[in-house]
Amino acid sequence: MTKPFEPTIIAFTCTWCGYPSASLAGVNKIEYPPNIRIVRVMCSGSVEPGVIMDAFEHGADGVIVIGCLMDNCHYVSGNKKAQERIDAMKKLFDIIGLDSRRLRTEWISASERAKFAKTVGDFVDEVRALGPIRMDRARKEKKARTKEQTVAAVKGLIDDTGAFDCVECGKCTTVCPIAKFDPNFAPRTIVLRAMEGIVDNIAHDRDIWTCTTCEQCNAMCPYKVDYTGFIRGMREEAAEFGATALCSQGGLIHSVQRMMAKGDFRQNRLGWVKEDMKVADKGEVFYFVGCLPHYDAIFYDREGLRLQDICESAVRIMNKAGVVPVLSNDEKCCGHDLNWTGDESNFEKLMEHNIELIKKSGAKKVVFTCAECYRTFKMDYQDLMGNLEFEPVHISDYMKQLIDTGQLKLDDAKKQSFAFTYHDSCRLGRHSGIYSSPRDLAKAFSGATFVEMENNKDKAVCCAVSAWANCNANAKKIQVDRVIEAKRTGADRMLMFCPKCQVHLRCAVQDKIPVDPAMVDVKLEDFTVAMARLLSLLPEEAQSSK
Amino acid sequence: MAEQPGEKKQERKALAVFLCTCRDEIGRKLDLESIAAELRNDPRVVAVGVHEALCSREGQEYLKKEAKEKGFERVAIGACSPNVQGLIVTRALEEQGLNKYLVEQVNIREQCAWVHSDKKKATAKAKSLVKGAIARAEKLLPLEDIEIPIKNSALIIGGGVTGMQAALDIAAAGHKAYLVERTDELGGRAYKLSMTFPTHNCGICCMQYCKECVFTPKIEDVLQTKNIEILLNSEVEEITGGFGSRHVKVKTPKGAKEFDVGTIIVATGSKTFDPKRIAELRYELDDVITTQELEQLLVAQREKGGGLKRPSDGKVPKTVDFVQCVGSRDKVKGNLHCSLVCCTYAIGQAREIKRMNPDANVYVHYIDLRGPYRGFEEFYQAAKEEGINFVRGRVSEVVPDKGRMFVRALDTDADVLLNIESDLVVLAVGQEPADGSDAIAKMLHIQTDIDRFMKDINPMFPSEFRRGIYVAGTAQGPKGVRYSIEDAKAAAASAIDLMNKGKIKFPRIVAFVDEARCRGCGRCEKACEYDAITIVKDESKGVLTCKIDEIRCEGCGQCAVACCNKAITVNGFRPEQVEAMIRALAEEVMAHD
Repeated sequence: MTKPFEPTIIAFTCTWCGYPSASLAGVNKIEYPPNIRIVRVMCSGSVEPGVIMDAFEHGADGVIVIGCLMDNCHYVSGNKKAQERIDAMKKLFDIIGLDSRRLRTEWISASERAKFAKTVGDFVDEVRALGPIRMDRARKEKKARTKEQTVAAVKGLIDDTGAFDCVECGKCTTVCPIAKFDPNFAPRTIVLRAMEGIVDNIAHDRDIWTCTTCEQCNAMCPYKVDYTGFIRGMREEAAEFGATALCSQGGLIHSVQRMMAKGDFRQNRLGWVKEDMKVADKGEVFYFVGCLPHYDAIFYDREGLRLQDICESAVRIMNKAGVVPVLSNDEKCCGHDLNWTGDESNFEKLMEHNIELIKKSGAKKVVFTCAECYRTFKMDYQDLMGNLEFEPVHISDYMKQLIDTGQLKLDDAKKQSFAFTYHDSCRLGRHSGIYSSPRDLAKAFSGATFVEMENNKDKAVCCAVSAWANCNANAKKIQVDRVIEAKRTGADRMLMFCPKCQVHLRCAVQDKIPVDPAMVDVKLEDFTVAMARLLSLLPEEAQSSK
Repeated sequence: MAEQPGEKKQERKALAVFLCTCRDEIGRKLDLESIAAELRNDPRVVAVGVHEALCSREGQEYLKKEAKEKGFERVAIGACSPNVQGLIVTRALEEQGLNKYLVEQVNIREQCAWVHSDKKKATAKAKSLVKGAIARAEKLLPLEDIEIPIKNSALIIGGGVTGMQAALDIAAAGHKAYLVERTDELGGRAYKLSMTFPTHNCGICCMQYCKECVFTPKIEDVLQTKNIEILLNSEVEEITGGFGSRHVKVKTPKGAKEFDVGTIIVATGSKTFDPKRIAELRYELDDVITTQELEQLLVAQREKGGGLKRPSDGKVPKTVDFVQCVGSRDKVKGNLHCSLVCCTYAIGQAREIKRMNPDANVYVHYIDLRGPYRGFEEFYQAAKEEGINFVRGRVSEVVPDKGRMFVRALDTDADVLLNIESDLVVLAVGQEPADGSDAIAKMLHIQTDIDRFMKDINPMFPSEFRRGIYVAGTAQGPKGVRYSIEDAKAAAASAIDLMNKGKIKFPRIVAFVDEARCRGCGRCEKACEYDAITIVKDESKGVLTCKIDEIRCEGCGQCAVACCNKAITVNGFRPEQVEAMIRALAEEVMAHD
């Protein structure tokens, strides 16, 4: 007989109430189950969502955050903020299928020792009843990589990416958006160092993580060196030594993606689907939604950011054209971010799952609204798996097709009066070569004026962050500059197809900025959403937000 | 998590583990030797020691000796709470030249030995906690304390007995004291009392020698002390700055006054409960008065003579009913707390009335008599002997009837419903936080209790945890005059000690910003309750970046969570440090499943 399940519970206790209440329970010898592991923090409000997710990823079956009584926080408002943050996190838990009862907040004053013991005891019982988390959490011992192995791997990488052809002309550095602000950074020198066999520092080399992988350098290189592919390979090598990116949100997003790869959860991804939308379980066209609903839960406090609108718009546009797309609750993250931060094994798990899922649906065409998902399927999945038996199509191309074939009628499009510009995302433009469809679609906005930014198509400056891995002061400069560039065209709106571009650019201009706010006063909107609004399939935003 | 860029690559030096049996308190519940034996095989650990009392003098000598001989740099300790005895143990290691920020202590006594009866499970948990401590200790960074200069002047908010006493003590110690009082006179509510109980001595004058009267000559004393600057009719408008140097803006009748202080004593006092909130007690009737108003009648009587007269018609009341716990111990219409002083003063007043008019019927309607003062019991017994009627049971209603007045109450001891015709009803009103104390608490980031009284930090903690702010007297909760004065003296003593030193070392458990990762978005600035963060423009680079005032920062970490890029972290609580601990905890558990 197997041993009954005993959950591991991490209890974050604040220094002023939670921790002393546990100590008092001890002094009074009030027994509670030994499943509780107490971690002292200064304030319940200082518990990072990324740290909570990390705990779940690495063995916790439940997490309880214990702070001062409400309205009685030692740090004024820490517990209130903790409550808000954890409520949002529970929504994320619901989406990924991790039972949100596994995460709890409790407010216990320093003297309430019996309440402490009872609360944690009840929580242990509750989590025990929920059972173990269906995820492979065993720590695998990795064999230490030898220097020779690394040198060999890097050499292979140099061959594969054509880096050997580098003639040190420096064109890449002149166009690199990072190098523009960081004089110490140059794509060329990273390659040079590797070619000289200098790999000792690979675990600590920050430069390979600073690159935005936007492919500006690739596009300019006269010898077609694939710098971006080279960087990705180097990250994989660095990961062998335990190096990771300094991820935004404290690594929360990557944790979620790894858990999707390793876990077997009953997800709840389709909460955004409304009753009047027509969707199917099986069919010709599969709509791969990606992680947009997750991001709405993660960025719950960002004003005006609603990525679910993109999903809704896509389905409504397809419905209008008479297409009933397949949606799947069992879809998982495409793995883009893991792939670009050196985690190949989890990336492959996600890939295999998604391909299997789509094959089962019988779809011949898979539509993407996310530029990253599209690039990942179109290029990385196909590279690794060969023919996919289905055709990945980006929504821009797809909408264009639907219009061209007359399926999507624009007769009832609203007359517009604004001026707008289009931001080529790196994953869609330089990576996938989609430049014309968005511009063709722009013509649908009758009455509106379309203006190009100075840097457009393959010269477009990227949003400066990829795979949530390289955000910093320079990234913000690039982002602010990009929005200024859009504003300078005289546009009122800046449309884009990449949800992450939208997150990053909004983030840059939403809070404090080093320039006059009027210089970035342009509405950032997803192209698909704008199309849906044009066709009155989605209401206009009530308030204008940047 | 990888290292932060710009951070010195830490050379991982040796780590030692010490377990304390706590004179068998831990030892008999946990198998510490088995934990020690396993850790001796851990390649990260150079020394493992089990001692019977690390906090004892022998224990500290042992730690110092070990540190000297084995030369380790980091220490993981499994013992009791790091908040109390932990400080002693850390100090011993510090004396031996170790950096105290590289010591991590987990509590295997309160969290294992004392709460889990299954020895095997408790031992397994203790082992995982110690391994967690090792993992965290490995990731800790050496730091230095912050040295904070303390200005040698004090602000005292409130000119009641508490504030006056604190001002006197501080001035006597040679420091400047600013005493801010919002009314036009010093003395507060205590000044309006006819006498103080249970000593039954006079309260306001100094015409006679009162051994117990600690209050009387104070006002004159304060007025004549040079080092005290009294600001009457004045209110504190704004306090900015941090520990050791706070800038105060006071609104005075002559305009705004600004000055800097090193310490602050909050003596904002309390107010009495407004009995209108309990309609059935008919406070609107002329002859239903509060104990405060009775004090004034008693003072008037003393000046004019001729016994106590009731307000409505100036007649001497034959029957007087005291209603206890008005607004106290009443969750629904008043406050849950007991106001502590009402039983004592009501009995005192009842005896006064009886002394003036021995024929009067005096009833005291109570639910419990509480008098936590020396001499109270004798005082109460004397009152009973003098013929005061103590009736257990709360007054349910005061009923006016054609110029007459009836008190309806149950005598729960006798189980009889009483309907007493009363000439004067006295409501023993409780205490509530003074008006405006919320604003002061907010200004100074003082935690308030559920009843809105301000909380003083547990005196068990080192005094500097109060950051030079002391809450004294009834601002903390209901209190008698005498206890308020003692409070004031204790607060003043701590403040004087701090100002005499002129500077203090404070743990650097504060926010730290990695400017290369900072995007200058300002979310941290918004999250900070202490104005410790400002976003500044770096003109040379054309970027915004955040600056942290380490003295103002209280280390709560709200900013660190708000920072989406984790450019801000709190020293000692960096995500990689906490995560290392948690992963070790969880891994140890999984290994045993």
